[in-house]
Amino acid sequence: MKRRVAVTGLGIISPCGNSIDEFSSNLMAGKSGVRRISSAYSTLLSVKIAAEVDFNPFNYFTKRQVSTMDRVNQFALAAASQAWKDSEPSLDAKEKERAGVCIGSGMGGGNTIEDLYDQLFKHNADRVRPLTVLMVMNNASASHISIAYGLSGPCLTLSTACASSANAIGEAFRQIRDGYVDVMLAGGAEAFLTYGGFRSWESLRVLAVEDPDDSSKSCKPFSKNRSGLVLGEGAAVVVLEEMERAILRGALIHAELVGYGSTSDAFHLTKPSFDQQARAMSEALREAGLLPEDIDYINAHGTATRWSDPLETQAIKKVFGDYACKVPVSSTKSMHGHTMGASGAMEFVVSLLAIKNQAVPPTINLDQPDPECDLDYVPNIGRKGVQVNTVMSNSFAFGGTNAVLVARKMKG
Amino acid sequence: MLEKTVMSTTLERLKQLFVAKFDSDIEELNLTTTLEYLGLDSLDMVDFLFDIENEFEIKIPDQEFRVRTIQEIVDAVDRFISEQRTGVSSDKQ
Repeated sequence: MKRRVAVTGLGIISPCGNSIDEFSSNLMAGKSGVRRISSAYSTLLSVKIAAEVDFNPFNYFTKRQVSTMDRVNQFALAAASQAWKDSEPSLDAKEKERAGVCIGSGMGGGNTIEDLYDQLFKHNADRVRPLTVLMVMNNASASHISIAYGLSGPCLTLSTACASSANAIGEAFRQIRDGYVDVMLAGGAEAFLTYGGFRSWESLRVLAVEDPDDSSKSCKPFSKNRSGLVLGEGAAVVVLEEMERAILRGALIHAELVGYGSTSDAFHLTKPSFDQQARAMSEALREAGLLPEDIDYINAHGTATRWSDPLETQAIKKVFGDYACKVPVSSTKSMHGHTMGASGAMEFVVSLLAIKNQAVPPTINLDQPDPECDLDYVPNIGRKGVQVNTVMSNSFAFGGTNAVLVARKMKG
Repeated sequence: MLEKTVMSTTLERLKQLFVAKFDSDIEELNLTTTLEYLGLDSLDMVDFLFDIENEFEIKIPDQEFRVRTIQEIVDAVDRFISEQRTGVSSDKQ
């Protein structure tokens, strides 16, 4: 039994705003959330910039809740609560048994791990916070959400680095499509802008250098002068719901999730394979029953590293052929940074907003064309008043995991 | 007299810990208030014990903290302070 899946709720905590409206208008305006790192240890780092979330947990949670959650859990639950409120699925006790959670995160409670090691190794503590285990464990975000809404169906956590939350949404989609559940809160969260996190990424030599004139312009996907990715943090969560249920209760349906492609490069931890990226896109289109020409917008993975942008360009060309040059492709990481485990869900939300607003967000800081990146990346200025019925969101991760989601506007 | 002073200090410091950690109103905290009334479960208490140990510079052994009311916490804390006092007074007192 293959059932249809509606998206009926959206929630976001991001470097470009902590509500869907703010996030949407900032991205369309090309407003970047990238800025100088605010933490005290920033003077010790070579990397100077990040896409941090402006977030006061006490605006969202009680003191008691705050003390039991890592920053990543706070992001996840705050985004989930927005999505839940947006959807208002009003489930009875029986329906809650057929509702679940699926959250992606690369690093889980990274801030708590760092505090733990700081206490142990730097301050020679002989005991540590009792809730450390519960704040570090990667499934804590999903569990907090499950508890908050009493959802007793599957409560899952997926960790596939930068594809985590795209995989989470894709697998949640399959749970509903195949009849295991009727409602899923799915998405992802990441909060790894820690001293150790920055140091680890610095060592990989993939981070962008600060733009000498304007820190907020440091992330330059597909531009010849791109210098790497900008680390970000945040969360995005959506409510997925079986279509008939959503229609019957008169829910506002943002879009229909119609395809999911999931492949592995099976090749190298960091060097991407455009063949498998392309296959993930083709698989998602095949499941959706769509042709490449049906896609009106692609939200690219577009990290702005030297090697990955041309490879993604090749992969898109392989799947879309001549149409590749016609379809708008943008990397909104130029504004919200690379939010790692949250990026797949965040950019899925961006793609759905393109349908909702009939507008395509830009790739900002694209000032120098690169012959190896020759698609329509919607440079610098968003496009309003365009027809966007069907969208694709690409997520490609370290480890070689590729996840692609395809959604379309509800007809009628 | 001395004992009473220690007890009131312990209570006041406990109240401050409660307010900092949980969402308790300081007005509802008194010696007869139960943890159940405050809505604290076993996990909350495990976490709170860590704060108590830090605040009073004592070690509370596992299995030796069975308390129901704030009075019982005050008594237990005072007992541990007394048992574990080394003769050097704490800078917090």
